[in-house]
Amino acid sequence: MNQAPSPLATIRATAFGYAPRVLQGRGWILAACAIGPMVIVMGGTFIARLKGADLNSQDALQIFHEMLRVMLPIMALVAAPAGIREDLEQRTLSLLLVRPAPAWALPLGKGLPWFLWGACWMLLSVLGLSFLGGDVSSTLGRIGAMVGAWWGELALMTLVGLLLKRGALWGALYFFIWEPLVRIFPPFLQRLTFSHYIESLAGSRAAGIQTSQVLAQEQVTTQPVLAFLILVAFGFLCWGLAGWKLHRTPIGFAGSEAEG
Amino acid sequence: MISLDRASLRYGPILGLSPTTFQLPEEGGITGLLGPNGAGKSSLLQLISGLLPPSGGEVKVFGEAPFRNPTVLSQVGLVPEGDRLPAGLRADRWLRMMGELSGLSGAALQIAVAKALTTVGMTDRAHLPFARMSKGMRQRIRLAQALLHAPRLLILDEPFNGLDPEARLTLMGLLRELAAEGVRVLVSSHILGEVAQLTDRILLLFRGRLLAEGSVTEIRQLLDRHPVELRLSGEASALARWAVEQPELVALRMEEGAVVLSVRSPRDLLPRLQKATAEGRLPLRTLDPLDLNLDAVFQYLIKDHV
Repeated sequence: MNQAPSPLATIRATAFGYAPRVLQGRGWILAACAIGPMVIVMGGTFIARLKGADLNSQDALQIFHEMLRVMLPIMALVAAPAGIREDLEQRTLSLLLVRPAPAWALPLGKGLPWFLWGACWMLLSVLGLSFLGGDVSSTLGRIGAMVGAWWGELALMTLVGLLLKRGALWGALYFFIWEPLVRIFPPFLQRLTFSHYIESLAGSRAAGIQTSQVLAQEQVTTQPVLAFLILVAFGFLCWGLAGWKLHRTPIGFAGSEAEG
Repeated sequence: MISLDRASLRYGPILGLSPTTFQLPEEGGITGLLGPNGAGKSSLLQLISGLLPPSGGEVKVFGEAPFRNPTVLSQVGLVPEGDRLPAGLRADRWLRMMGELSGLSGAALQIAVAKALTTVGMTDRAHLPFARMSKGMRQRIRLAQALLHAPRLLILDEPFNGLDPEARLTLMGLLRELAAEGVRVLVSSHILGEVAQLTDRILLLFRGRLLAEGSVTEIRQLLDRHPVELRLSGEASALARWAVEQPELVALRMEEGAVVLSVRSPRDLLPRLQKATAEGRLPLRTLDPLDLNLDAVFQYLIKDHV
């Protein structure tokens, strides 16, 4: 009789086993979401220069970050359904759950290739933008903000996908309804958004607030290192909860027992 | 090896399996789990394979509750119904992952994957992605993943669905070989002929209840109140005259050159029939039991249950 694999061996096996999936259609959509803002901004800057217009590199970076911040949730919405949720929907989860491997490690193992793939492209995107003339000293903060938020958002979407029947819908509502409200949230609620931590790491939005935004609240910030650690810890918490949900929920051949 | 003590399974308000009690002994061999669609076969297999915990009662496999129990799961191989496999992956890489998830590593893993692929005859096609495989090939790969860790108990849910006749025969041969090697094989099917070809040991389920267990003959003997049909060919009128004098006769039907008797307790009737024929009092050429097969047993039990 074989020994049951350790959690780390389970995560490694699942991550390597499913890694080829990121090189298929969904993976390239994910890459396009990450690299798209850089391509658009660089293209815009190039065209503006061709026409003799003076596009400030800081403006270009500002546009880039706004776009990437919109793209991050889209990336999470694209990648999370290809994680453990995919096995649930394809009814192949029973093949994994009948193994002696710890079930709670499977969501992280299956999500890891998607995280790494997205993070690589995001890194490329942020570094590419640095050539536009952005402040090199803040590049690390931008990378931390994007990769940290990507980690947290992917984990959150994986958890929501296991907890709720229409996980993608609830996730989209959170990202596109709740997150923009950070502008008018009091300090406590600002801390319940990804935007808060992204801005704490990558730079303030305060300068972007106009006088017409009468409901705008004073922006609070969290120390960059702490903000990054919170994003990472939040991600681990979500992966852990997703694993706990999978471990606790009886999931048979139909797979529908895990929903709702 | 497998014991259920009043184990039941509910899907919310729906009863998937009524409280069921039975035991399967330790030694190898094939056991058929038989019943029409919706009988509760998959529910029972999900309980035994540890995918679902029982809603009531107790399930033990190798002496322990199987749900999320690595000790039990490392000795169980499962081939669920259908031909679903993860999209976008190659068979060999996927099998490697499944082996690792079963606790195999290094050279042992390589050997196990190669052996499983050889067993199912897929060595030369393992590099193909699942999307390019036929249904039969995918079924073989699904069997290979269940064999990787050399399980002591192999569970197959409707494994013959969608397979062509040749693939069916191959799979049946393979299951017989595994059983001969000491693996306990539990096969579910709603097609009686398939199970009858594989094994004489069956569990009969209907509407979530275990109706009977044992061999086809044993189960048939439980049903003496149901008449057995015997076809006697020869001089029909003489055969009919002899038959109407027998107390076991329930009904008689004349056919060209034969009579079909419905009789209770054929074990009492047959020696008299044999004796009369041997003494030349009965012009009997052939005797064919028409319904002493799995189909008939199945229909009787269902009729009886309803």
